[in-house]
Amino acid sequence: MDCNTVTLETLSQCFLATLSPLPEPRRHAESTIATAADQPGFSLAVIRLISAPSAIDDQIRHAAAVNFKNHIRSRWSPSNPPTRDGIPPHSPIPDQEKEQIKNLIVKCMLSAPLRVQSQLSEALSVISSYDFPKLWPNLLPELVCAIKSATDYTVINGLLGAVNSIFKKFRFTYGTTDIRLDLKYCLDNFAAPLLEVFLRTAGGIVNAVSSGGGSPEILRRMFESQRLCCRIFLSLNSVELPEFFEDHMREWMTEFRIYLTTMYPAVIETDGTADNLRAAVCENLQLYMNKNEEEFKDYLSDFTSAVWTLLMTPSTSGSRDRLTITAIKFLTTISTSVHHSLFASPEALQQICHSIVFPNIRAQDEDEEMFEMNYIEYIRRDIEGSDMETRRRIVCELLKGIAVNYREQVMAIVVAHVQTMLSSYLSKPVENWKDKDCAIYLVVSLSTKKASGQMEAAHLIDVVNFFASAIVPELQSHDVNAAPMLKAGALKFFTVFQSQILKQNSVLFISDVIRFLGSESNVVHSYAANCIEKLLILKDNGLPRFSSSDITPFVQSLITNLFKVFQFPESQENHYVMKCVMRLLSVVDISDEVVSPCIGHLSMMLSEVCKNPKNPVFNHYLFEAIAALIGKSCEKNPTLITVFESNLFPVLQSILVNDITEFWPYAFQLFAQLVEISRPPLAQNYMQLFELLLSPDSWKRNANVPALARLLQAYLKKVPNELNSQGRLTQVLGIFNKLISQSSTEELGFYVLNTVVENLNYDVILPYIQNIWNVLFTRLQNQRTVRFIKSLLIFMSLVLVKHGHLVLVDSVNVVQANLFRVILEQVWIPNLQSITGFVEMKLAAVASTKLMCESSSLLDDSAVQVWISMLENIVSLLVKPEQDRVFEDTDVPDISENTGYTPSFVRLRNAGKKEEDPLKEIKDPKEFLVSSLASLSANTPGKWSSVIKIHLNANNKAALHEFCSTYNRSIV
Amino acid sequence: MEDEHCSSSPFAADFSSQKREGIKSSAVHNVAVLRRREIAIAIGKERRDALMLTKRLCRDVTVNNDEGSVESDMIVDEGKTDLNNQTLRAVENLKSSMSYLGKGSLQKKLEALKSLRRLLSKTNVPSIEVAIQAGAVPLLVDCLSFGASDEQLLETAWCLTNIAAGRTEQTESLMPALPMLIAHLGEKSSNRVTEQCAWALGNVAGEGQHPRNILLSQGVLLPLARLMQSDKASTARTSAWALSNLIKGPESKAATELIKINGVSEAILRHLKKQDEELATEVSWVVVYMSALSQLATSMLARNGIIPLLVEKLQGSESTQMLIPVLRSLGNFVAADNYTINSVLVVGQNMTNNVISALVKCLQSGHRILKKEAGWVMSNITAGSIEHKKLAYSSEATVVLLHLLSIATFEIKKEAAYALGNLCVAPREDQSQPDVITDHLVSIVERGCLKGFISLMKSPDIEAARIGLQFLELVLRGMPNGAGPKLVEKEDGIDAMERFQFHENEEIRNMANGLVDRYFGEDYGLDD
Repeated sequence: MDCNTVTLETLSQCFLATLSPLPEPRRHAESTIATAADQPGFSLAVIRLISAPSAIDDQIRHAAAVNFKNHIRSRWSPSNPPTRDGIPPHSPIPDQEKEQIKNLIVKCMLSAPLRVQSQLSEALSVISSYDFPKLWPNLLPELVCAIKSATDYTVINGLLGAVNSIFKKFRFTYGTTDIRLDLKYCLDNFAAPLLEVFLRTAGGIVNAVSSGGGSPEILRRMFESQRLCCRIFLSLNSVELPEFFEDHMREWMTEFRIYLTTMYPAVIETDGTADNLRAAVCENLQLYMNKNEEEFKDYLSDFTSAVWTLLMTPSTSGSRDRLTITAIKFLTTISTSVHHSLFASPEALQQICHSIVFPNIRAQDEDEEMFEMNYIEYIRRDIEGSDMETRRRIVCELLKGIAVNYREQVMAIVVAHVQTMLSSYLSKPVENWKDKDCAIYLVVSLSTKKASGQMEAAHLIDVVNFFASAIVPELQSHDVNAAPMLKAGALKFFTVFQSQILKQNSVLFISDVIRFLGSESNVVHSYAANCIEKLLILKDNGLPRFSSSDITPFVQSLITNLFKVFQFPESQENHYVMKCVMRLLSVVDISDEVVSPCIGHLSMMLSEVCKNPKNPVFNHYLFEAIAALIGKSCEKNPTLITVFESNLFPVLQSILVNDITEFWPYAFQLFAQLVEISRPPLAQNYMQLFELLLSPDSWKRNANVPALARLLQAYLKKVPNELNSQGRLTQVLGIFNKLISQSSTEELGFYVLNTVVENLNYDVILPYIQNIWNVLFTRLQNQRTVRFIKSLLIFMSLVLVKHGHLVLVDSVNVVQANLFRVILEQVWIPNLQSITGFVEMKLAAVASTKLMCESSSLLDDSAVQVWISMLENIVSLLVKPEQDRVFEDTDVPDISENTGYTPSFVRLRNAGKKEEDPLKEIKDPKEFLVSSLASLSANTPGKWSSVIKIHLNANNKAALHEFCSTYNRSIV
Repeated sequence: MEDEHCSSSPFAADFSSQKREGIKSSAVHNVAVLRRREIAIAIGKERRDALMLTKRLCRDVTVNNDEGSVESDMIVDEGKTDLNNQTLRAVENLKSSMSYLGKGSLQKKLEALKSLRRLLSKTNVPSIEVAIQAGAVPLLVDCLSFGASDEQLLETAWCLTNIAAGRTEQTESLMPALPMLIAHLGEKSSNRVTEQCAWALGNVAGEGQHPRNILLSQGVLLPLARLMQSDKASTARTSAWALSNLIKGPESKAATELIKINGVSEAILRHLKKQDEELATEVSWVVVYMSALSQLATSMLARNGIIPLLVEKLQGSESTQMLIPVLRSLGNFVAADNYTINSVLVVGQNMTNNVISALVKCLQSGHRILKKEAGWVMSNITAGSIEHKKLAYSSEATVVLLHLLSIATFEIKKEAAYALGNLCVAPREDQSQPDVITDHLVSIVERGCLKGFISLMKSPDIEAARIGLQFLELVLRGMPNGAGPKLVEKEDGIDAMERFQFHENEEIRNMANGLVDRYFGEDYGLDD
């Protein structure tokens, strides 16, 4: 593409049009650009447009820059993975064009307005991630040179920002040789210039401040510049302490200390600019304290007191969260380091607790605001662990940190504080609710987390007493809407300590918790649902604590209240509540009268979410709830199926008709569940669906395939003869053919095939078996992966156990004379040990045993060697633990990785089949092996026992011997 | 829960469980605790002390003794100006002495050189810049021409040595002098001259990869390698030092070239056999870089019998100076070359016991660098065969490592963690061994190491976090009777793993989430 003015003009028009509110011109422009993007030189044209001197609208520049960044992102990599759905990948940018881009981008970035600059900076870091440093040796020198000569802090910050994003990778990678080489290169070229610009700016700040401040904007930029230097410092120091930084530690630390201990003009204190720099400094200090205690120790006490003072000083900036968090992390690191004795004195411990920890644990305005305005985020932070970086969580870390070495003292302080908070609350409950909230938060946060989200409050408090005195009054409070944060805290406490509260105690409060489902606060009703859900799965020694009959008295009110929650604003798709519904329906026996309103509610909600599916978690639990309800109630009363059919068919059909793709896998699983429950002959609706199932189009989407295979299986089991008519089996095998041809779906192909073999009589399969073998063996010849061989082995085993060894051996030998022997020796026996999974292992072992004890092809005298190696492998398969037998098979991509953006298949547990074992009659493959061998040898005493004695290796002989004695059989 | 983790197969086309399986097999099972770790590229300080710095001035001992002690203390601003003036005059003097062709011109030149040399060696901060600005370099290059007297060459090389000890630009200004300095390394020059030239070149090489590449292209390697074979201790020492600067990487070619030169490997072994610790120190640094960068050198030296010599030094010496490069070399050999662990440090040999007890001694020393290096070597030994693990485990090392894990500073803690972690996993190649060495694991867990590993997980250091996580995986999977989860839970390990829920490092994130899911996931289905 030539970059003459005409194309630039056209491009510029197009970019402008992409911002149009009208869909028509916008789409047209987008497609024009997309077409242009495939031509060589496109990116150069765009970059010229961005840097064009003429008075181009900033909007256009920005749109072009965004496009440029995306273009680079999708096309810089030389080997783009193919996109899904068979669309070929974007053509990569030619090398020559790449070189030109690399020559232009820094200059272009420097002259661009801020918004455009940040886009280009991102593009630059994308390019760097591939090319820097080896394929882009000019970059760093060019940046260094620009930084040295620049005086405008907008430019300097742009450059430092770019360096920062390029170097970030050092923070999160291991110090492998390659990384160390890159890091060394960066240090050699940038460590000194970084210090230089840092000191230069430091001087600039001193001058500006002493001369009365100058322009606040410039001062702000200088602070930002220092902050960026600190971030780069962090990246360069992350792998280990570099020589240059050790040699110049004093220079860095001196400036760091100045920033922590100086109060700057109000303009940069109030808007948080100074605090941002300080936060970056603290993070660096924390890194040094953590990794380089020894080199850092001379500075430690100065910095400890500086950080300490900072935390004690009330801030003038509105929110100091970031700084508070990094500063506290620094102190936490000290508390657990070899220098923990800095905090050893009782005064220090008191001060840390009372001046730093407790005030920061108190709910603050932001917490209250989030509680009300953004309940999902509040809950995620409060109970789902995404609060690593919150103030409340981080001070608890500090508390735990000092408790590592001063446990008794710290616990005494905390216990006393909890008591104080509780009594202060009691004196004025309305005003002082935050005191109690703080006490509850402390107790929960300092407990040890156990599996399944339960907690243990070792040493700190007596859970039972605390529950009775502080939590129960909240749970029994009449007004479900009063002091909602406190109620949420109480419900959280009850939820995480359930396992420590006796059943007869906790059962008393179930109806109270149900009441809180009616609270207007989203957090409170979500916590109530969560509490009940956890109660339902709580186990004592592996057994559920609450049986269905324990819950029965509450079912009616639970169901009523749970479904009411969905009417609250913001909670229409509350997944905590839907999860509770799902749990309830899968645990508790629902009486027949309740089934109908339940399924009515659920179907209605389903048709509602079909209009605009947006919360996949909620939708998943919704489908699970439906599946659970069907499963549980039809198990007791199969006639209820008509209720489900009448409620669900309309909405399930609309999912198929309206092509709501993300729901297809769910719909097929529900259909499968219904088919399995119904009695033949199947209703017309199902048979129509069967046609859809057999259409190859349905199988094109990967996510559908497991669900379709499952549905197919349901049909085959229920109405095997239907398959035999109208050439349907041919269609099924066509599907098998298609699936087996791609390595990503081959397992599903086998799934279909196994279903056919397992459920149909051999006379039905007979006409097709040659074709099946041909397909499989051709595939075997062309692409022999371990995964394929495993599946093939399982399939052959299944044919053998279902239809007998003669069927297997003879049908294979029809393909080619003596082929079975070849397969046996080259495929079956050598790969037997790679079989994993209990059911599969049992199947393969039993089939192999039958083969060697029944088939003349193995019992023949000429086959003794084969017979023995079969036995060796069966015994090894049965004896060795999986990890000793199996090597990683890395030659096949994992399907699940390929399903990124398209709807993926998620299995519904509640719609799951119960039986997957084709060999239920055989419990123990070891026993089967020795019994078979015992009967075989009884026919020709001495023959097989001597073969075993002579040929079997010692370990396996011992193992076999052990089986014999275990099962009391002998091989004579 | 059972079927949640059963492997994928035609019978259980459960994609969600496949995903988990994928995580497990890609990250958690890949017990990288086993990997020996090479540290080929030096980022941090090398811990070579005063005598062995990468660059060093050649101070004038006699001058210091006579008049220097007072003088050097007096160098303040005023003194500095004075020194600058004197240096300037000395260069002018040299210039005029060289254009003087009359009688005694040689003597005059020599005098001028001497006085310049004295000024450049007088203090720790000589006026190098002034000398360069005044045009000293071309004059000095002239003074190196063939046929000059030994004394003149010596004085000149001395001046150049100290200029080369300066800042980067100052060193770079010496480029025109390099060919002549190299030329005087030859056999025809006197000992004192070659040594001084080697010193100057060593300083240049210490500057960085760029001057190193120039020196190498000018053929410096061969004559320096010959000098290192000298039996004169000071010559061998200085050239070894210069060579170590020359081959230190990150490029590895020079190290390989060096070992290919006839006699180099033998000379290294010969020097290491001597009692001379200063010489052994310099030679060991050469070995450090060779073993870090060159597979060929590593393999040759190991097969020629360097290991017993290193072990002997390690056992017999108290010199931290020497022990650091000896430890570093030993660690490199163990890490990079299976021959060392399989055929030299064989379990049952006395030497192997000696290594372990010497390492324990270093681990217990008061010197943190020694501790760290010894921990690293130990971790590479415990990454060896099952017999090595058993030997190390039953030695004193276990107690010492456990102690270090609980109280040492971070970098030592991390090495101890690697060493202890390796004790508990069996090598993967050997299929007949179980993955986890249960009795080792049980015993060190019982002695309270879990706390230490979990505290490493809270570090911002990615490798420390990973080793902590990997050890947790061992405990979860490997403790008998499924006791692992309870133990991890008790030490607040769930919380520690959940920190990685949103971590930027994908491997760590997946590994942590996979473990939490697998061992602490909530019971989704109730049908088990």
